[in-house]
Amino acid sequence: MFLHYIDLGWRSLRRTPVVSLLMLLAIAIGIGVTMTSLSVYHMMSVNPMPHKNDQLFAVQLRTMDQGADWWTSDNLPFQLTYQDAMNLRKGSVPFRQTAMLKTGFGVKPANPDIPPFIETARAADSDFFAMYEVPFAYGAAWDKAVDLQGEAVAVIGDELNQKLFGGGNNVGKDIVLDSVSYRIVGILKAWKLEPQIYDLNNGAWGQNEQLFIPFSLLPIQELKSWGNNNGWKYEEENTYQDKLNSEVVWLQYKVELKDKQAQQDFRDYMAGYIKEQQKLGRFKRDDAEGDIKNISQWLDYRQIVSADNKILVGLSFMFLFVCLANILSLLLAKFLKRAPEIGVRRALGASKTQVFAQHLVEVGMLGLAGGALGLLIAQLGLYLLRSGFSRYEAVAQMDLTMWLAAPTISILACLLAGCYPAWKVCRTTPALYLKTQ
Amino acid sequence: MLSMTNISKVYRSEMVQTNALRDFNFQVNEGEFIAVTGPSGSGKTTFLNIAGMLETYTGGTYQLDGIDVGRLSDNGRAELRNQKIGFIFQGFNLIPDLNLYENVEVPLRYRGIKAAERKRRIERCLEQVGLGARAKHVPAQLSGGQQQRVAIARALAGEPRFLLADEPTGNLDSLMARQVMELLENINKDGATIIMVTHDPELARRAQRNIQVVDGQICDFKLYQGGLEKQRAGAEV
Ligand SMILES: Nc1ncnc2c1ncn2[C@@H]1O[C@H](COP(=O)(O)OP(=O)(O)OP(=O)(O)O)[C@@H](O)[C@H]1O
Ligand SMILES: [Mg+2]
Repeated sequence: MFLHYIDLGWRSLRRTPVVSLLMLLAIAIGIGVTMTSLSVYHMMSVNPMPHKNDQLFAVQLRTMDQGADWWTSDNLPFQLTYQDAMNLRKGSVPFRQTAMLKTGFGVKPANPDIPPFIETARAADSDFFAMYEVPFAYGAAWDKAVDLQGEAVAVIGDELNQKLFGGGNNVGKDIVLDSVSYRIVGILKAWKLEPQIYDLNNGAWGQNEQLFIPFSLLPIQELKSWGNNNGWKYEEENTYQDKLNSEVVWLQYKVELKDKQAQQDFRDYMAGYIKEQQKLGRFKRDDAEGDIKNISQWLDYRQIVSADNKILVGLSFMFLFVCLANILSLLLAKFLKRAPEIGVRRALGASKTQVFAQHLVEVGMLGLAGGALGLLIAQLGLYLLRSGFSRYEAVAQMDLTMWLAAPTISILACLLAGCYPAWKVCRTTPALYLKTQ
Repeated sequence: MLSMTNISKVYRSEMVQTNALRDFNFQVNEGEFIAVTGPSGSGKTTFLNIAGMLETYTGGTYQLDGIDVGRLSDNGRAELRNQKIGFIFQGFNLIPDLNLYENVEVPLRYRGIKAAERKRRIERCLEQVGLGARAKHVPAQLSGGQQQRVAIARALAGEPRFLLADEPTGNLDSLMARQVMELLENINKDGATIIMVTHDPELARRAQRNIQVVDGQICDFKLYQGGLEKQRAGAEV
């Protein structure tokens, strides 16, 4: 019977080509707009490492003195001071850990044909690559020993490798950063992690860094911060050492904790650390505490999906609703015009349910076609977003979930709009149209 | 098998109230062939529609095969109609988008008959009404009489136990009308109960029983004539 309904639906749609086309366009445009905004929303809120969601944690400390407050929802700063990052990373409670700084250099290529250029870099610990599953093409991360001593070594990304050397295994070669020579120990494969969960604070979207150096070089090379620096009190800052000793928060610190027990151990470790620091005269407040947040908590906390975006999704669904209202009225007119035929079908033994099903199938077909066309429109919309706004480049994309969501939403929406007309038409009194010819 | 007691049907619109049927009492036995006659607007179609459960009635009781129709749900009526009743409508009521084959197929589909059996029955019935060669045509390509025959084929294909025919020969020439009548007589012989509305006294005579509907009531033929005479007498005075 279902195939028969499809056949009937197809004939019915073909019989009124203009109305069918109008309805198709209405649903397609509605779905197109909705899917465009929803895809952006989806890509923004997507967790790029769901399998490690409960293992990678951002660490926060409420370090400021009593009376000073942070503007965050839980009164915790996003980043850490150098003292705290250094102290915490000395411990061995986490399975892996990395303190990080977003920095950058002037790069002077060995090849005189390539002009010098500016490159963003990330100072991190050797664990960073394993924690975020960064793939190596050649070589590996620097030794753990380097994390303690500081040594001028670097890991470079695939793109930078192409740019400097034209690709290939260049482990052991040097790269000159701000006139300091770094030995390349590892070269990454092409790699992408978006949103950049390891540092949402300094730009969640865009290209991942192509240059990594040991965090332990901070005091040695006096690495400048290319990210946010926030303080809660006035401090003289004349030398780099002043900054290292200050209460300014400017570093990220992430830990990998394998299970609940490890999480608890780490919380205890932080509590112990705070007590110890309080004895030394820091953290002068009653509710000094630390917190860890997993990836999805962190994404949510940092509001990676902006409120604007949520409003946009809401608006686009409202637009879809308007489209549906139009479809509903078109369907109603179309179906009621068919009442005489339905009267005959009812007289010949069709039950209300069968008439209802026949019409819903027709509407469902419309939804499927509208969904397909809507996908094309959404692709166009996303393309326009990508080409018009560079910051949308990463997120104006459709993944498989969205490809499947489009026809699903479209069919459901059409069924919703079709329910009332179908119900109305299945209630026609069979006799009403039979007396007249 | 069919029994109507004091059935009444009132149509109400904003302005007028029409008593289409009043105190309608009627019994039909299994296997009967009944012809219904009566003036236009007397309630014949209304009676057939109620008998076929296409329409609800306003008062009285109607039992079909011992089942009180008034107690059935809409789906219950649809099922009963689907299983037992075949219709030939006054207007042929073919579905314009479907070709003849598909039109005849409609009741068979709702009855859940398998494709091969459907094909067999459709071809046989179209053959019986002399339209076997035109199965692929749509109703608009046929004359009124041919459409009437398709409507008959559609009713026959369901092999109903109970056939309700509203002027099945209204658009046919007398030869064709007689052929259709023979068809109906044949399926009646095979066991189907038939109620046929007709204006043709010759055809009506061939039925086993004649009833006359006047003003929404069954009336004796003579009484009706007497009434007419009274009317005339009244007009002359
Ligand atoms: N849906 C309706 N609404 C209002 N009045 C109706 C309706 N259907 C029928 N009637 C009225 O009920 C009466 C009986 O109609 P019905 O169609 O049963 O007559 P009929 O005997 O079949 O006439 P004909 O021989 O012309 O087909 C008529 O007066 C008609 O106007
Ligand atoms: Mg009639």
